[in-house]
Amino acid sequence: MEAAIQAGAPPLEAHGVEVEIGGTQILRGAELRVEHGQLVAIVGPTGAGKSTLVRAVSGLQSLAAGDVRWSGRDVRSMRGRELARVRAFVPQRMPVPAGVSVREAVTIGRSSHLRPLRRLTGEDHGAIDCAMERAAVTRFAERPLTTLSGGELQRVQIAIGLAQEAPVLIADEPTSQLDLGATVGVATLLRELADDGLTVLLVVHDLALAAAVADTAVVVSAGRTVATGTPAEVLDPARLAEVWGADARLTEHDGRTALHVAWLGKKRQS
Amino acid sequence: MARRALVFAALVVALVAAVVASLALGAVKVPFADVIEIVFGGGHGGPEQQIVETLRLPRTVEAMIVGAALGIAGAILQGALANPLASPDVIGVTGGAGFGAILIIILFPGSIALLPVGALFFGLLAAAMVFGFAWSGANRGSVGKVILAGIAVLSLFTAATTGLLAAYPERAPSAIFFIAGGLTSSGWDELGTIWPYFTAGFICAVFLIRPLDRLALGDDVAASLGSRPHLIRLGAAVSAALLAAASAAIAGLLGFLGLVVPHVVRMAGGTSSNTFVVPASAIGGAALLAAGDTLARTLRAPIEMPVGPFMVVLGVPLFLWLLRKAV
Repeated sequence: MEAAIQAGAPPLEAHGVEVEIGGTQILRGAELRVEHGQLVAIVGPTGAGKSTLVRAVSGLQSLAAGDVRWSGRDVRSMRGRELARVRAFVPQRMPVPAGVSVREAVTIGRSSHLRPLRRLTGEDHGAIDCAMERAAVTRFAERPLTTLSGGELQRVQIAIGLAQEAPVLIADEPTSQLDLGATVGVATLLRELADDGLTVLLVVHDLALAAAVADTAVVVSAGRTVATGTPAEVLDPARLAEVWGADARLTEHDGRTALHVAWLGKKRQS
Repeated sequence: MARRALVFAALVVALVAAVVASLALGAVKVPFADVIEIVFGGGHGGPEQQIVETLRLPRTVEAMIVGAALGIAGAILQGALANPLASPDVIGVTGGAGFGAILIIILFPGSIALLPVGALFFGLLAAAMVFGFAWSGANRGSVGKVILAGIAVLSLFTAATTGLLAAYPERAPSAIFFIAGGLTSSGWDELGTIWPYFTAGFICAVFLIRPLDRLALGDDVAASLGSRPHLIRLGAAVSAALLAAASAAIAGLLGFLGLVVPHVVRMAGGTSSNTFVVPASAIGGAALLAAGDTLARTLRAPIEMPVGPFMVVLGVPLFLWLLRKAV
């Protein structure tokens, strides 16, 4: 049995990941190593392959080449149910079906634990309540999804992922469509989850946000991972210029991060 | 939750009432008390017992099975394709089954016993063509591809059917009852041939309920939970094709039922959760067809009207009224 789940193997490790979609090569060799209880932010320009990378490691996108291992197990040898036990994938935006309440949606998130045709046990109900509590959606648990704001909906999506009770939560741009307050709420939630021992892999656009919440930042550019390290290390002005083509600098003061950008380039500065 | 339980209870009551009416009413009226006695093994022989046992009981059972099958087929297709317009028509089954039946009626009128087999065969063939086209090439199994392939195949078989009718206009009248859709009092023979397809379709549907609920939250959430979205869609299409082709083999073209019943059930229950919608559509479909068939053969007894157009005439106003109140 390959479940020689190697002691000491990191929860997720990926080498030389290549992905092709419709004849176009999206990933050309990505590396990723995620440690227990870390919050890893995947950053990079639009179209660099951030989302494709997290989809590929999650088993949602097939690999053209490379190697993805969950606690030492090859992703290609794992069945859907086994994958559901090691990671939860929270998409950027899920469809919002009519006539489905928050509680029902989170209950669906528990279904990977259920055998076909079996009913929910007390343990399942406990996990559902706990996921809703953790994501702070209990207050509006009985409301239909169609009545929620963008921020509330994103919290429900995270609760659906938490109900899966997988040790790794992967969130694809959870904040890209939220206003400032909702973004702060979701960022705080993800950081708290990581502090409580959950491993979080976060695709994020906003570099100041990444710098504030992440233990590790992975920079993806043109289908390759070009740098991995603490946000302060890898998001230096030279790399911001090289990867994003912007004259910018990240700063941190009193837990507040900011991205200072020469919006119109150097020449315009008088 | 209370609302759903209420709707479910109302549907069960409607089904029981429709079944009793279907057994009791017709050209010969049998008192309700006698019907119940006959069904539960009593009865004192005589023509009434014979009418109920050999004519009405099989017909009522057929109505229940076909109604439930079409209700479920519509519910799981609408769920799987996330499209309110989905019905057995959309995956080509109805068009294929219609062609198969008309082929037998027009070219082999001597072997009319083959009609259910022809309808079933071509219904499943049409669905297989749709799956073949929709599940190949780029984007296989996508909703748009399934629906477009379905409409193309439907057009093909409809054209072939029309061609047959135009080539043999003198035989067309005998095909009309099938196209209109309706049940016959021909005993247990048809069910005897077709029941395995119903059974397979019903069993698939039961196992699809939870996967379809996951799919309602999108392909990514379903995949996160370990499902494969395009396999769920394929399973739903196969199950719906079996149920709809078997239904067409027994009762002709009643596609409307599969489209409308799941919507009515969703609007009444205020939820699109398949744990509710699929069973409620089965009971609702069974009740509607049993009631419609009873009306169709009693209103102008002993003349039987085809139940298809009859149900459409009764059902469309109700549907439009409900639709007005929906989102």
